[in-house]
Amino acid sequence: MRGNIEMSSLDLIIAFVAAGVIAITLIGIRTGRAASRTLEGWMVNDRRMGPFLTWFLLGTEIYTAFTFLGLAGFAFASGGAAFYNVATNDVGYALGFFILPAIGLIGRRFGHVTQSDFIADRYQSPALGILIAACSAIIMIAYIDLNIEGLGAILNVLTAHRLNVVDAEIIGFLVLSMAVFFGGIRGNAWQSVIKDVLMFSCIAALFFVVPYHFFGGFGPMFGRMINEIPKNITLPGPTHKLGLLWLATTILLTGFGQWMWPQWFNVAYSARGSKTLKIQAVFMPFYQLVKVAVITIGFAAVLIFASQKVAGNEVVMLLAQQVFPVWFLALFALAAVLSAIVPAGPIIMMSCTLLAHNVYAKLLPATKPETVFGISRGLVFVVTFFALILAIVAHSLIALILLAAYNFIAQLVPSVLIGGLFWRRATKAGVFAGLAAGWALTIYFLLAGITQIDGMSSGFVALIVNGLVFFAVSLVTRPVPSEVLDPFMAAARDHRPAGASGSHGAMPAPAE
Amino acid sequence: MRPPMIAWIIGLILVIALFTVGPVFFNSATPAILGMPPLYFWFVLVPLLNPIILGTVYLIDRREQPVTDEGEY
Repeated sequence: MRGNIEMSSLDLIIAFVAAGVIAITLIGIRTGRAASRTLEGWMVNDRRMGPFLTWFLLGTEIYTAFTFLGLAGFAFASGGAAFYNVATNDVGYALGFFILPAIGLIGRRFGHVTQSDFIADRYQSPALGILIAACSAIIMIAYIDLNIEGLGAILNVLTAHRLNVVDAEIIGFLVLSMAVFFGGIRGNAWQSVIKDVLMFSCIAALFFVVPYHFFGGFGPMFGRMINEIPKNITLPGPTHKLGLLWLATTILLTGFGQWMWPQWFNVAYSARGSKTLKIQAVFMPFYQLVKVAVITIGFAAVLIFASQKVAGNEVVMLLAQQVFPVWFLALFALAAVLSAIVPAGPIIMMSCTLLAHNVYAKLLPATKPETVFGISRGLVFVVTFFALILAIVAHSLIALILLAAYNFIAQLVPSVLIGGLFWRRATKAGVFAGLAAGWALTIYFLLAGITQIDGMSSGFVALIVNGLVFFAVSLVTRPVPSEVLDPFMAAARDHRPAGASGSHGAMPAPAE
Repeated sequence: MRPPMIAWIIGLILVIALFTVGPVFFNSATPAILGMPPLYFWFVLVPLLNPIILGTVYLIDRREQPVTDEGEY
């Protein structure tokens, strides 16, 4: 078993990874530059992305450093509870089958480019749009932070603490910022194709090599798991805290919360139509088997590292280091680094666009579109820097960062999903009150260290309270008039081609 | 309510139930199913069932409202 590799080999690996990152950055710039001359081109590729690029764009946004490193770490530390993440995206795809085409049709009709545009139009409230844009942009920084944490873990293992990780992160994210600045969403989608193929090949290799290298096959590996670590492969797991009720409530919270992430919500806008989105929903669940493979590696690591103290975030890289030859380890390291860098692109872009388009431009309505576009791109460096600072000062298990972020973002479910597409009686006052209750409770739970209430996910409890307040306040306040709301709701059912449906029609002016 | 909407709601509920109720019956380390621990087996099986469920919903939806997207790949 190769525990550590020689320094000369490390240098080669680092040089290969650096060259790979530069190459993929140039590819992103080259493929996306032409389409990135306006905000709509930069953010949603002028709504022209077909099934091929949408598949990889969704893949890169969902399968990040968390999938590559964090999920194995969570399985390693918390056992069977990690299966929640297999379910999260599948429930999300089933939900997205209907809601993404509906949101896409509404967006095409009224010229939306962000979730905040959708909310402001639906509730006829620019203030609500600004609030949600600002809060979402802040919550998204946690998601960028997650990828930086992943990058740090990769470099920690790869360099045996020889390379200054903070410096490496700064260099990596400067490179990323340049790629996002020039390449836009289309450039990122092409980067994603390379990253996904590389990442899934590497996970598949590790998934097949680990059982044979350490256990003599899958059968003996599963046999040892069943006999030696039964608590680690079931619930409530080795911590005795994450039971079946936690699993069910976390699946509901994260499954319904998935499309509340503004960058994922925007796939509804960048896709070229309903058919593209529905086909994604049918086939994306196959991607989830990759997560099962990663969880398997996490369970196997419990047996392999039984007598060692190992950080959860690092188990995948440590195993790769032990089983692969140097040339493949270099590819593996590049895949791992790209899994942290490429997915951060759309998240950073969305965070910047929310701040420029939905906060700055709404507060200063005279701002010209080209100025908004310029600010959005300029903010790329600022937002990335904040995420970098957060990663440096607050290290944590990647999975815990993700779960905490979900607790916040899922509070948008009543306003976006229920009120946005189904319940015409929902009001902006109901949304304000519900969000205030949900986010206040989530902040309290976070500060008090409360992750569960009677076995349920604390974020789910906050969402229930949020929903109740949303319903109650909506029922006693004045809804958006029918003559304004009818065209909005009707647009979700208009399946005519974009030109025929009169794209970019204007909603009646929101009155605050 | 139109058939595509009914099909989608049934499909969504089915997917949620498979993931939230199913583990209740498979949350043990033994007996192995096809050589796998039961909970592990369940989370391998369900992602394979989902495309079948959503594929059925898609076919019902397409029969009712056939649409063709315009744009690039």
